[in-house]
Amino acid sequence: MRELEVLIQLGVPAALLLLAYFTGSFVERRHYASIRLRETRVRKFPLLAFREVPAGWEVTESALMTGTVVVSLDHFKRFLANLRNLVGGRVTAYESLLDRARREAMLRLQESAFERGYRAIVNLRLETYQITGGGDAPGTGVEVLAYGTALKLARRPGADA
Amino acid sequence: MQWSPRAPRDDVNVSRTHPLSEAATLFGGIALVLVAVVALAWAVVEVAVRWMPYDLEARLFSGLRPAWTVADSGAEDAALTAERRAALQTLLDRLVARWPERPFALEVGIVAGDEPNAVALPGGAVLVTEGLLAQSGSENEIAFVLAHEIGHFRNRDHLRGLGRAALVGLVLTAVGIGDATAAAFSQPFVVLAGRGFDRTQESDADRFALGLVAAEYGHAAGAAEFFRRLPDAEAGVAIRVAGWVSTHPVSADRIAALDAAAREAGIATQGPVTPLPAPLARE
Amino acid sequence: MILTNTETVPGRTIVEFFGVVSGSTVRAKHIGKDIMAGFKNIVGGELKGYTELLQEARAEATDRMIAQAKSVGANAVVNVRFATSSIAAGAAELFAYGTAVRVE
Repeated sequence: MRELEVLIQLGVPAALLLLAYFTGSFVERRHYASIRLRETRVRKFPLLAFREVPAGWEVTESALMTGTVVVSLDHFKRFLANLRNLVGGRVTAYESLLDRARREAMLRLQESAFERGYRAIVNLRLETYQITGGGDAPGTGVEVLAYGTALKLARRPGADA
Repeated sequence: MQWSPRAPRDDVNVSRTHPLSEAATLFGGIALVLVAVVALAWAVVEVAVRWMPYDLEARLFSGLRPAWTVADSGAEDAALTAERRAALQTLLDRLVARWPERPFALEVGIVAGDEPNAVALPGGAVLVTEGLLAQSGSENEIAFVLAHEIGHFRNRDHLRGLGRAALVGLVLTAVGIGDATAAAFSQPFVVLAGRGFDRTQESDADRFALGLVAAEYGHAAGAAEFFRRLPDAEAGVAIRVAGWVSTHPVSADRIAALDAAAREAGIATQGPVTPLPAPLARE
Repeated sequence: MILTNTETVPGRTIVEFFGVVSGSTVRAKHIGKDIMAGFKNIVGGELKGYTELLQEARAEATDRMIAQAKSVGANAVVNVRFATSSIAAGAAELFAYGTAVRVE
């Protein structure tokens, strides 16, 4: 019976971690599927990091637009990150998190610009922030902000060479 | 300039390692390192403890001695408490006289507490709770408990426990286990590092105590009595630890081990039991 | 692969552009570097361990960006920007992004 107590003491955190891993990876896969789908839809509209408008584009209107998202860490990712902090090296748990967050933010930027009739975005900038946490703990989540100047064009870009 | 929208590679910014296997590898690796460090710390403590001479210990830890004067002054009836402590001290001195080595003077004190407990402090102090005195039925029982603590002194168990706890605490702080999950996983390590005396130490002290008590009374009756009573006492004590990390052997096992050891050493386990001396019996 | 942080590649013409490519990596320092940094906090001076760590991380992020650019058929990335952000104390994200183009 006493052995059972030790098993519980070790097993409950392990079970929680496994649960967090499975739910986390399910959520992640679903998010990636949504991201890939939406990316194919907006891909035809230029999204550039150029500071200036490419020559030959006739701009009728321009506006600053933003897209933001806050993605949260799950329990399992946080545990992995803490282990990594001891050993050093690439924190793979965060890589997929940030990749998703960045692509989602860019998508939101493009989608909101498209809804308003803008057809191209120049001078894309990306900023990443850690949300809460503080001290030595990995925070609750990560915010990515994507912003750029959205343009309404007289003609479709690429219509002239 | 021609605009040619193309989808870049998807997988560049994500690593291919499976998170579960990575977690297992990391955790296993770190656990192994921790175990190795703790084993090293134990070895260091062992060497230090074997080497430390008794008089050095007495000098280093003499500061721990005045503890029971505080307990004394906190008692309601100072005279009664002084009497009881004197009676205990006499008993302790009689037992220590049976220990040939007798490296330094041991002193005993009474502390408040309903749970029966006795502890040996580095430097030569033995503390006994009120609850222990209340639960004892005969002088032999108290004698056995005191002899048991003398045994811990002889084996330097308290020093070992102190050293281990200190070193392991140092290691864990350096590693900086701040996450709640990691802390939960490290609990077994911490307990294993020996916050108390482990079972071998307890049975060695038991064996030594048998010898002392037999030398004093001619038999070991009363020793097991105390443990037979312990289950009732333990019911009121909130010591719920898993069996293999418990720092005290289960009472039934302990009684059996005592009987076996007594038989081995040719000590009788039955015999006339001396009643409690008057000051101690008044509880 | 040509990398610049100007609008164009000096001396060449951009013929085609493919969109934004990015590379990122998240690195944590290990306990040894932490302890050394703790010492340096007292003494002062360059934290060589961290400098190397971040240089490696930046190189890896740039390589990943180049890999994405290659996959769309670009031979240059213009207007490259770097960003460093702390994701947690002890882990930093190195991020590089730019526009993938073909120059002649």
